[in-house]
Amino acid sequence: MKQFVATCLTTLLLAVMGPLMALAQNGPLRIEITEGVVEPLPYAVPDFVAESAGAQELAQQIARVVADDLTGTGLFREVPREAHISRITSFGSPVQFADWKAINAQALVSGAVSSEGGRVVVKFRVWDVFAGTELGEGMQFAGSPDGWRRMAHKVADQVYSRITGESGYFDSRVVFVSESGPKDQRAKRLAVMDYDGANVQYLTSGDALVLAPRFSNDGERVLYTSYETGLPRVHVLEVGTVQSRILPGQDGVMSFAPRFAPDGQTVVYSITQGANTDIWAMDIASGGTRQLTSAPSIETAPSYSPDGSQIVFESDRSGTQQLYVMPASGGEARRISSGQGRYSTPVWSPRGDMIAFTKQNAGRFHIGVMRTDGSEERLLTASFLDEGPTWSPNGRVIMFARETQGAQGASSLYSVDISGRNLKRVRTPDGASDPSWGPLQ
Amino acid sequence: MHTGHYISGGAHGVLILWALFGGIFGSDPPDVEVAEVSVVSEAEFTAMMAPQPDTSAAEEPAAMTPPEDEEAAPETPAQEEAPTAPPEPDVAEPDPAPQPAVPEPAPETTEDLAPPPAPAPEVEAPDVAQRPVPRPAPRVAPEAVPDPAPEADVAPEVQETVEESDTAETSDAEEQQATAPEAATTEIITEAEEPARAPTASVRPQTRPNRPAPATEPRETEQTETAPEPAAQEDVEEDTASAIAGALEEALAEPAESPTEGPPLTRSETDGFRIAVQDCWVVDVGSQAANVTVTVAFDMDRSGQVVASTLRMSSASGGDASATETAFQAARRAILRCQGDGYTLPPEKFDQWKSVEMTFNPESMRIR
Repeated sequence: MKQFVATCLTTLLLAVMGPLMALAQNGPLRIEITEGVVEPLPYAVPDFVAESAGAQELAQQIARVVADDLTGTGLFREVPREAHISRITSFGSPVQFADWKAINAQALVSGAVSSEGGRVVVKFRVWDVFAGTELGEGMQFAGSPDGWRRMAHKVADQVYSRITGESGYFDSRVVFVSESGPKDQRAKRLAVMDYDGANVQYLTSGDALVLAPRFSNDGERVLYTSYETGLPRVHVLEVGTVQSRILPGQDGVMSFAPRFAPDGQTVVYSITQGANTDIWAMDIASGGTRQLTSAPSIETAPSYSPDGSQIVFESDRSGTQQLYVMPASGGEARRISSGQGRYSTPVWSPRGDMIAFTKQNAGRFHIGVMRTDGSEERLLTASFLDEGPTWSPNGRVIMFARETQGAQGASSLYSVDISGRNLKRVRTPDGASDPSWGPLQ
Repeated sequence: MHTGHYISGGAHGVLILWALFGGIFGSDPPDVEVAEVSVVSEAEFTAMMAPQPDTSAAEEPAAMTPPEDEEAAPETPAQEEAPTAPPEPDVAEPDPAPQPAVPEPAPETTEDLAPPPAPAPEVEAPDVAQRPVPRPAPRVAPEAVPDPAPEADVAPEVQETVEESDTAETSDAEEQQATAPEAATTEIITEAEEPARAPTASVRPQTRPNRPAPATEPRETEQTETAPEPAAQEDVEEDTASAIAGALEEALAEPAESPTEGPPLTRSETDGFRIAVQDCWVVDVGSQAANVTVTVAFDMDRSGQVVASTLRMSSASGGDASATETAFQAARRAILRCQGDGYTLPPEKFDQWKSVEMTFNPESMRIR
């Protein structure tokens, strides 16, 4: 009985004193925070200071492109210039952090532009307002007046990198298929543009149907499929000279869906012989080929992992289009997609941790991402027709083509953050499809 | 030596006693059917057996009377017998007797009948309730926030519109614009997950027409009733301020070398501190920094403000140097940005919170 009473008393004491003992502390107060907010980070970009006569307009334009780049990511929100309390009139003057703190700007980008003798110099600094310190060190870029947009993109890349800790993607280009004319007589030609749709330049004339351009990792060459000879054949184009040539192959055999290996020396593509389509690899220098798949089914859309050791591709060997991963040298493939619907056009992320794909299910097309083992599949978009994802050089954004329904339907380019936020259209002069994002320049 | 025997003997004894007195050999009595009965007197029985007039049947002849303009309307035997010999109501299905050549009752008789109860509408409801799908919003936060009113500015605090008034009874509040927090959802909603568009707000029900006002209450009454409130409020505020000042004085009067032991922070005090910081912790869920758990250490002064120079990363895990630095910067911004004029912490427990280690763990944020 005594023991029972003692046990009861001990339990009661523990129940009462336990929480108090837990709350008591000997060292610092320890708190764990597991819930935050997901929202754009407010920042300010006042007009850059014009340090030479005639640089005023350029200073404003560069500041606007920097702001457009940052705000366009969806990760940042610009505090309107009308709300600014302080004005930066000199690049070297101290920053009044209290004024920027008052308008809740967490980061501040200050800059100056000078233009002398056909040479433009842009310099900038990034400030952590609440810490009252500079993020990184000041930097400057110089170039011709024609290249002011690239300089602005480079400034934005630096700002992005210093705040997020990751490389940017603003100073990059996208090769795509420009489309014009009615749907049944649509002219398609290769074009290249800045990541934001500016500076569109055409690479082919439009006499022959072209498909699926793919940048090399250095951005100097483009692989694409052309019907110039009547049958689809893989071509390689030098971006600098706009000269293209057909990759060697057998006459009368269709080759398509090419993509560079990370080293740029090897190309993987599909060849159709009869009713069978397989994946092949070709050494560009020697022209030597190697068959990587041999199943009696359609294997196509190969894409290398960033380290070049594996290839993800689509195959209907199981009855429906699914995604598979195999060694880069060929061999046994393992299926990674497992959901409902048909999967196609897989692309390995530059980070190496995810694969983007097109999915068709229940009459809708989606752009989605999954881990390289097929887990954590997440659909980011949904529409009448979404297809052909391509990764930004930092693996953070996916660009793809979206076509609208109907006889007057047109294709255009969209981008979306891998979190599924910030879905937006990329403005192009004409219709656009088949984007391929090049490297950071 | 004989312990086994004793145990065996005792056990057998218990078994024998249980067999004798435990009813093991007794059999259950046979089942008997029991029916409830009630006693009825002879008079009651006679009354029950006597024929009862059927009131429902008595009303029927009127309904079955053919209209006057109809002539060759044969009368059915049932119609004749109904008034005198009420038949036992036949609840069974009536025989499909030949239809009497009687015209159908006049339509007006059916008007008085209550309509048959309408069948319950079939509702196609799923067996399992679907989880409500959050609506997309530009901000993702631990607590969902509805869209603010269109006329309201976005601000952390909710406040009503205060406009200038000509009346002398206007309160002391300054003119202000209505504000409301920015709309937020609890998770990222992609286009593929976005629910179908539906109205987010319903029309406010219209108020009833105003009844004639009884008698206008004298305005002085309101003034006399409301006038004392500010004074009382001022008293309360003064008391609160004096109490806070007193507590601060006491806290400040403590010698610097006072022992660190003291009353611990309560759960609500700790939660208040945590929530204040987490509202400013911006997590970039798609970045490598979202894989990093970082612990930040810092000191605070008695006003609840962070001593910025003491902010330092005490530990981190889950990412490379760049991602770790980014995670630390985000945590530091959260701590500094939301402190305002100082975090609300009890001054008398300063020793408990003058040094803080705050761990920022974004694990639960990654899949949003």
